[in-house]
Amino acid sequence: MLDFAIMAAVLVFSEPLVLGLASGPACVASCGPVMVPSMLAERAGLRLNMRYLSVFLATRLVGYLLFAAVAWELGALAAIPSSARSLIFAVIHVLLACVLLRYAYTVGRACSHSCEGLRLVTIGGARNHRVPGAAVLGFLTGVSLCPPFVVAGVRAAETASMAAAVLFFAVFFLGTSVWFVPFAGLGWVRRNEAVTTVARMAMVLIAVYYFYAGVMTLIGKNVYG
Amino acid sequence: MRKLTAKLGYTGAGLTVFAAVLAPFLLYGVFTKGFSSLGLHVDEVYSGGPKVRTVQAASYTIDIHRQVSPHLFQSEKPFVQLDWKPVSSLPPHVSELVDIEGDGKPDVHVSFDVPKDPKAPLRVNVEPLNPRYEAMQNVGKDKFSALIVRVDDAILVRIPLAR
Amino acid sequence: MAKALPAREPRRVSRSLLLTLPIAVWSLLMFSGWFRHPNRSQQIAGSATVAFMVVLFFMMMRTWSTYRWRRWFFVALGLLFPVGFIHNVMAVRGTMGIPIEEMIAGRTPFCFIPIPLLILPAAFFKTLVFPGSILPKGGMSGGGMAAMAGIWLAITIVVGKGWCSYACFFGGIEEGMASVPAKAKLRKIDPRWRYGPWAVLLAMALLSLALFEPAYCMWLCPFKAVSEYIAARNTVGMVQNGIFIILFAGLVIALPLLTKKRTQCAFFCPFGAFQSIFNKTSVFDVKIDRTRCTPCVLCQKSCPTMSLTEESIAKGETLMSCMKCGACVDACPKDAIAWHIRGTEVAVKPERARLMFLYAAWAMAVMFGGSIIAQGLATILHVFV
Repeated sequence: MLDFAIMAAVLVFSEPLVLGLASGPACVASCGPVMVPSMLAERAGLRLNMRYLSVFLATRLVGYLLFAAVAWELGALAAIPSSARSLIFAVIHVLLACVLLRYAYTVGRACSHSCEGLRLVTIGGARNHRVPGAAVLGFLTGVSLCPPFVVAGVRAAETASMAAAVLFFAVFFLGTSVWFVPFAGLGWVRRNEAVTTVARMAMVLIAVYYFYAGVMTLIGKNVYG
Repeated sequence: MRKLTAKLGYTGAGLTVFAAVLAPFLLYGVFTKGFSSLGLHVDEVYSGGPKVRTVQAASYTIDIHRQVSPHLFQSEKPFVQLDWKPVSSLPPHVSELVDIEGDGKPDVHVSFDVPKDPKAPLRVNVEPLNPRYEAMQNVGKDKFSALIVRVDDAILVRIPLAR
Repeated sequence: MAKALPAREPRRVSRSLLLTLPIAVWSLLMFSGWFRHPNRSQQIAGSATVAFMVVLFFMMMRTWSTYRWRRWFFVALGLLFPVGFIHNVMAVRGTMGIPIEEMIAGRTPFCFIPIPLLILPAAFFKTLVFPGSILPKGGMSGGGMAAMAGIWLAITIVVGKGWCSYACFFGGIEEGMASVPAKAKLRKIDPRWRYGPWAVLLAMALLSLALFEPAYCMWLCPFKAVSEYIAARNTVGMVQNGIFIILFAGLVIALPLLTKKRTQCAFFCPFGAFQSIFNKTSVFDVKIDRTRCTPCVLCQKSCPTMSLTEESIAKGETLMSCMKCGACVDACPKDAIAWHIRGTEVAVKPERARLMFLYAAWAMAVMFGGSIIAQGLATILHVFV
């Protein structure tokens, strides 16, 4: 009975896990421009950066699961016309750009290496309505419909139930997340004015690019030459 | 200890001068071979992917390349490249059924003019007989994944795959 | 105002000639092919370049100073590279715009600037995201990517970030522009702009991995104005070309004229940031003898890349962005700054360190920059000879 259960679990989990592991480098490459500078802008410390990574990945998972449910409801992510997918992608790019710019501005005013504790940099409006920047960025990268995500979405939509689709995505997500773990090592990078300024400037440059890409798609122009 | 570090420093400096003198003689031999052995390749969106098959026509050949899949956020579509060569042996108008997949059934019908002037712009029409491939109407060289160009003594056509 | 030491007596001519002899022999060896070339303009260009490099080295020996003679070489390199390169491009392709055919054929010449941007895609996916070829492929492919990577590695091992003073064929344009005005009109520069190259490097390296293209070359490189660019096929291409024209006009022409600093190098170039890493491994560096330093901060004012701060001067060293150009060494009225070999004592036999550095750096400069200067000269002479 136990052998059967193990075999069943292997059969159920192996496909999304292998797909996730194979897609990991692609996920790191697509999330990297958002994640790396924002992690560098936080304070140093392995625990703090692991906290950042956990929040980022957790909200990225929320984004994934949200789309897993939507994909299953619609029959497949492929059922969403590609023009609509491009528009969703474009809107998310513009939102990412805005959040990165806000984050870059806020980090300059937040407490830096003189502060204690594991508090992440928060963004937002009034004091009680601020959320960790890592959470917003993680969620937006999670819903950004990057190519490995679409492939997994197509496969997940073929499963028998919404629960199975969500499970498929969760395991896929786990596979991709293995590749993110080494980034916790950014916590060992010493933070000083140089590192924080570089990170903030890099966020601005990347935000400008995302804003351009999003706006060009929204107005129906080519993004690339 | 100071003397040892100073000796090491001067040795390092001397070796550096030696390296500066040696560099021009090693550059094109040892280093180039070493770099080539790293197993790196130029992005196939540029290079077109490796050739997998050659089809012999009357007086020319058609090289069929392996399908190229773009990467991540590259805006290009997956495509397959076909090379007609040599250009000097091509008729003034090429209209060809091509079996890309090697299963004995034609997959696309490709037609283009071959101007005498090598600098004249090229245009291609592709009619897909296999739904895997996209149609192309009067396409020039706008995108890496859908184009017709002349490179040296070959005419290259890239046919995008339907997603 | 710090009281300067009395001006040093020039080194004896005979001793200066003796010290120059190895460079003269080296230059003759490197250019021997040029002397035998059937084309007369190549022969004259080769001879003139050898004479130029040898005379400059002689003057460095005779006058004990480095910066002003090195600057002549570097500005000549910056001005003559575009002459030779653009002429070549026009002769081979008929246009400065790279047509898509050339990219597909792998004949895009490989510049050193994309090197740091190619590392991540190569490491993750074993792919070089540049439309060139690893080995020479004729046309404008030159020696291929492997050869340029080799040149880069050799020069970097020898001089670290001294690449930016002895090899970069773009930096001389800014250095020339920065030398034109007698005084800077814009003197207050926020020192945080020094972090700009690192931000550009980080952003462009990550975007290159995500987009699978050399993002800096596609979007931000100002030097496409004096070399080549992707032929614009649509609106995006025109936007890209507009950006590089604006960046060239601003960072390479206008700001150096206003600030007397190498603004593109100091505040923007991602390759410069990448090279800074190799200053940590280089055998040669620049140190300050704190027993002689007053501090008058003339060195800080003279540095074209703001690589000296009050803190670093107090520590007796330059920042890792130091290009080893020699401006601070020549500006110091107390001879407190000098070239230094790692592991040795500061200010003990500084001239020995300078000589060893210059032999290595000038040997590379003759091999690489010298051939570019000669090619540019030959292009001009071909019109007349």
